[in-house]
Amino acid sequence: MKNAPQGLWLRILAPSVIALLFLGGWEAVVRLNDIPPYILPGPLLVAQTLVQDWGTLSVSLLVTLKITAMALAVAAGLGLLLAILFAQSRVLELSLFPFAVILQVTPIVAIAPLIIIWVNDVTISLLICAWIVAFFPILSNTTVGLRSADHNLIDLFKLYRASRWQTLWRLLLPSALPYFLAGLRISGGLALIGAIVAEFVAGTGGNASGLASRILEAGYQLQIPRMFAALVLVSGMGIVIFLALTLLSHLLLRHWHDSAMGRDDRR
Amino acid sequence: MNLGAPLVSLRGVAKRYATGTLALDGIDLAVRQGDFLALLGPSGCGKSTLLRIMAGLAAPSAGAIDWAAGEGRGDVGFVFQEPTLMPWATVLRNVTLPLELAGMKRAEAEDRAAEWLARVELGGFEHAYPRALSGGMKMRVSIARALVTRPRLLLLDEPFAALDEITRFRLNNDLLKLWQDERFTVVFVTHSVFESVFLAERIVVMAPRPGRIAQSLEVTAPARRGEEFRTSAEYAAQCRTVSHALSAAMGAAA
Repeated sequence: MKNAPQGLWLRILAPSVIALLFLGGWEAVVRLNDIPPYILPGPLLVAQTLVQDWGTLSVSLLVTLKITAMALAVAAGLGLLLAILFAQSRVLELSLFPFAVILQVTPIVAIAPLIIIWVNDVTISLLICAWIVAFFPILSNTTVGLRSADHNLIDLFKLYRASRWQTLWRLLLPSALPYFLAGLRISGGLALIGAIVAEFVAGTGGNASGLASRILEAGYQLQIPRMFAALVLVSGMGIVIFLALTLLSHLLLRHWHDSAMGRDDRR
Repeated sequence: MNLGAPLVSLRGVAKRYATGTLALDGIDLAVRQGDFLALLGPSGCGKSTLLRIMAGLAAPSAGAIDWAAGEGRGDVGFVFQEPTLMPWATVLRNVTLPLELAGMKRAEAEDRAAEWLARVELGGFEHAYPRALSGGMKMRVSIARALVTRPRLLLLDEPFAALDEITRFRLNNDLLKLWQDERFTVVFVTHSVFESVFLAERIVVMAPRPGRIAQSLEVTAPARRGEEFRTSAEYAAQCRTVSHALSAAMGAAA
């Protein structure tokens, strides 16, 4: 307990020092060797481009963010729903789960072109691609979670003649919550990857295009600093999504789950 | 109260697991209303299985269970070996659970639950989460939850086995006091001779492989047992008798 604040500082400080050293080294290498910006721009130039091109880049950022968030929401909703159905019926689980696995193991890059051909609306086709990638961790984690309720508690609910609905709502879903949230954290990153990959496959084109299109476009035009700037935004978005989902998980579990620290729940 | 009339009777109850093992055989047992009955036996003698059958959580392979008129297994409270609390719910919510499952309004359920929490000396802990409580306190919550529906029959499956001796003695005393005040019927599974003699009016000694009843003994004790009973010569003598009965039951099995 005594080490907690110290640990927090270390957690922030240590990676920051490494990041600064890395960026400083990068800038130094670029300057000392006179590397042209179309080969490798220095971090300062990238930052400058980010500010300069914020107008177009922020539009693309929102497009990608929207697709990622929607895909994650649909994945969470459908994953949860399907997991609940699996928990109610073993037959349903055995018949459908293999297909979820097939969907998961087939590389998205390979299916994306088909989806983009089949679906007219670009946004929806991107959404489907991102959803396919993000869906599985939520489904499989929640399915396990729903099955891992304390057996004695299940007996207790049976003893008091709880209905199926009461058992689901008051016992199975709360038991599955930590598993669901762990799945959600994995899927948050995957939804972004799925959205970006699908955008790459879909190519540039269209004015409402996302960050991947900006990266492709900048690549064609040899505007490497802009390419890096878009890349920074993609990584940044991934980090923010992860942190947001971690925070959500902490807020929901802090009172009771071992994964959340703190023993100040004695009111 | 109709003391002495059986609340539940088991006739020729047997249980064979799917694996083929015969866990219980030929169990004839009548639990009298208001009785405090201890099922004493070594581990593996099927005493927990017997308790689960009484609770309706397991079905017997043979035999019959008769309830006194007007009773059903809705009147059963169960305390497991572990506290078995919902970690995501506060202490109060854990205790209101049986009432809410039965459809009682939340406010009324909370009043009743708070009352029982006070009776198990946990007043003021209503809004704590289980993880903030000690093992003994969690067990008290579990007992409050089992009693909140005012069951006719309270089943306890080695509830204090995992607790330290000091906590166990305190919980023994408190459980006994609740029973003396309320006179619900108790079936208490234990493997401790000392605990069974201290608590029970009647001790049913079980023998293993297959689980069966070896002997039934009445305990004679002052009406209100307390710490002085625990150190009395009377207590020691009865512990010796029960201990011999247990050895005999286990010897017969070997």
